Amino acid sequence: MAQSGKGKLNYRCPSCFMRDLDIDMFYDKDKKEYHCIRCQYTGSEEDVLEKNEMIRFRYRAMYKRFDKFDFD
Amino acid sequence: MDKFVVNIIHRPEMVPEYSATVTGQGKEEDIGDKALLTESLDIFKTQQRLAHENGLKVTIQMTYASLFNAEAVEIAKHDHEEYGDEIALSLLGLPCEEFREKYKTKDFCIWMFSLEDKKTIVNDVFEKFHDIFGFYPESTGSYYMDADLTNYIKEKYPSVKCAVATCWEEGPKAYHTCNNSWYTLFDGGPWAPWIPSKQNTHAPAANEAEDSGIVAIPHLSRDLIACYDGNGSNFGTHPQNVLRGMIYDTKTWEYPYLYNLIDQYRSLEKYNNGYAYNMMFVGPGWMNKMGRWEAPYELLEKSYSDGCKYYGQLKKEGKLVDMTMSEFADYYRQKKSYTEPECALWRDILYGSDKQLFWYCDPYMRACVNMDQGGAIVDLRPYAAKLEWPVGIGTKHVQDASYPFLIQEKYRAGYFTHYAGEGTVRSAKLSYNGEEVDLCLCRTKAHFSQEGKTRILTLDPVTIEFRGLSVTLQTKEYFEEGSSSIKIERNILEMSDPNAEVYLNEYMVACYGTTEYPEDMTGITLKCEGSEEKTISYEYKCREESLEGADAVSAVIPAIETKVSLTASAPAEGYIKEGYAFSPMFTLGYKKRISDKEVFATWLNLEKAN
Repeated sequence: MAQSGKGKLNYRCPSCFMRDLDIDMFYDKDKKEYHCIRCQYTGSEEDVLEKNEMIRFRYRAMYKRFDKFDFD
Repeated sequence: MDKFVVNIIHRPEMVPEYSATVTGQGKEEDIGDKALLTESLDIFKTQQRLAHENGLKVTIQMTYASLFNAEAVEIAKHDHEEYGDEIALSLLGLPCEEFREKYKTKDFCIWMFSLEDKKTIVNDVFEKFHDIFGFYPESTGSYYMDADLTNYIKEKYPSVKCAVATCWEEGPKAYHTCNNSWYTLFDGGPWAPWIPSKQNTHAPAANEAEDSGIVAIPHLSRDLIACYDGNGSNFGTHPQNVLRGMIYDTKTWEYPYLYNLIDQYRSLEKYNNGYAYNMMFVGPGWMNKMGRWEAPYELLEKSYSDGCKYYGQLKKEGKLVDMTMSEFADYYRQKKSYTEPECALWRDILYGSDKQLFWYCDPYMRACVNMDQGGAIVDLRPYAAKLEWPVGIGTKHVQDASYPFLIQEKYRAGYFTHYAGEGTVRSAKLSYNGEEVDLCLCRTKAHFSQEGKTRILTLDPVTIEFRGLSVTLQTKEYFEEGSSSIKIERNILEMSDPNAEVYLNEYMVACYGTTEYPEDMTGITLKCEGSEEKTISYEYKCREESLEGADAVSAVIPAIETKVSLTASAPAEGYIKEGYAFSPMFTLGYKKRISDKEVFATWLNLEKAN
C-alpha cells in the first residue's frame, strides 16, 4: 500500500471540525477515501462534502442579513 | 459626527505562513523556492489591486523578506505615490533565506525571541527599511507586541506611532483548534484600538506616564460572541476566516455573515461617542492558488474582492472613512482620552439565538457581562494591576502573553459545574423558604445609556418564581470612568406578597490564570474588613468566615499583584470562602434580607497589590 497524500482540495476532517479542530485529511488513492490522522473518520469526497453541510446546523442565522443589532 | 474608520493592511510575505508548510506538503522545505516567491508577490499585487479598485487606501506592511525583493519595494513606492498608501514595516514575515542564515533559527514570532534578539532583529529590520526607503516607518506590528518590544521600538525609533499589537482572544482556543501546534497565546486584550501601557500591552494606559507612545490596533475585528466561545480564527473581518468557519453557502458562494459582522462593528459608534473601527488584514497565504482547505482559489479571491467591495461601497455612501495606520493613530489620539472606555453591546449574528454580551474595556479592567445569565460578569481581567509580564525566550512566559483573568466562564466553568465545586462568575442568588434561584438562570436583554462619565447597562426586569412568592427584579450595572469599579444595583420592583422578605446573596467566585488549568492558590489572602478583621490564608481547607456590617470583603492575589474587593451600599453580612482542591476558587459575597421596592447595590473594586 502506497503512502497517502493530499487530495485535489485540502479537506479537513468534518468530525474534528465539529469539535473545533482543524485537521487536514490525507487521501488514500487505493481505497479512494480521505482519512483523519487524529480521529477515526474516513470517507469519500462525497461523504466529506455532505458532512460539511451538516456541520452548518449550528449557524442558524447564516443566511440572514441583520439590520438591527440592539434590542431597544 | 459619527465616524466608522477602516484600516486595510497588506503585507508582501515572501514565504507566506501556510503556503510553505500546508500546501507544500510532500515537498522538501525550500524557503527560497522561486515559484513560491513569484506566487506570493502575485497575491500581494492582487490584494493591492482589489483595494484600489474600490477606492481604498492601504497600509503596506513591508516584511523583512520583502525588503530584499526589488519588485515588492517598487510596488510599495509606486502605490504610495499613486494611491497615498502608507509604507510601513511588519515584524511578521521574517522567514527568508537571509533571516535564517543570519539568526540560525526557524522562530518567526517576534514576541517569542529573547529580549536581546528582539532588539537585534528590530535594529536590523528597521535599518534595512531605512536603507531602502530613506525614512523610518510610522507603523509596525505583529500578531502580538509585548511591552518590552514596544518600549524598545519607541525609544529607538520614535517615529513609530501605530502598531498591530494583539489578536483578540487568540489563546488556548486557537491553540486547540490547531491541534496544539499554533502558539499564539494572547487572550485577555482589547478588541478595538487602544493606547497600551508601558507595563503591559493588553492593559491600556491610564495617563501620560503609562503611555507607551503608540496607538495599538487589534489584528482583525472579531465577533465578540463567536470568538469568545469558539475558534477565533473563523469569525473576523477576514473574509477567508469566514470561509475557514464554513459560514457560506456552498452553492451561491454568498456569506451574509461577513457583512453582518462589519455592520455590527459599525453600530458600536452608539456606545463610543460616535466612533467605530474595523480592520482587514489578510496575509497572502490565505489567497493561495492551490486553494485553502475546501475553498478553491476562485472563492478565496472572490471573498477578498467582496470584502473590499463592501468597504468601498460604504465609503462611497459616506458611511466609512479609510485611513492608513498612521493617519488613524493621529485621529485616535485626538478623539479619545486615556480613561474613555471602549464599550460594545454585542448580539449573536450567527447562531440564531438572541444572546447578548456587553464588553467593557478601560485602563483598569476588561469585563464581559452576559445577558443570557441575568447580567452576570463572566470574564474579568484586572488591568488595574498593570501586571508586568515579560514574554519570550529567557522569561517565565516563553509563549503565554495572555493577561490573567479573575473570572473566565469558559476556562473555569462559570455558573455550571459538574457534580461538585464552583466556577468563576459574579452573580447573585435569591432565596426564600428554602428555595434558591441564581440570576444566571434568568435570561434577559440590556440597554445602554450614558450619564456624564458613567456608562449604564439597564437590564430588562426578570421574575423569579418561588413556591408561594414571585419577585420581579431589575439589575443595573454602572461603569464609572476611571473608578476601577463596577457597581451592580438590584431593584426589587414587585413582590406578589409585599410583606415578604427574601435573601439576596451577591457573590463573586474567582481564581486566577491564563489557561484552563488551575494555578496554585496558596498565598491568596481573603479578608472580611470592618469593625474586626477576619482573615483566611488560602490552604484549600474549605473554610468560611463572615462579618455582619463588613466594610469590605477582599482577596489579595500576589501572583497577579491584584486586590479585588466587594463593598455594599447598606449594612449587610460580608463573607469569604476558601475553596478546596476539587474547587480551586475563592468566594467573596454579601448577604442581605431584602423586601419589596428595596434597592441594594454592591461594588466590585480592583486595585494593584504590590
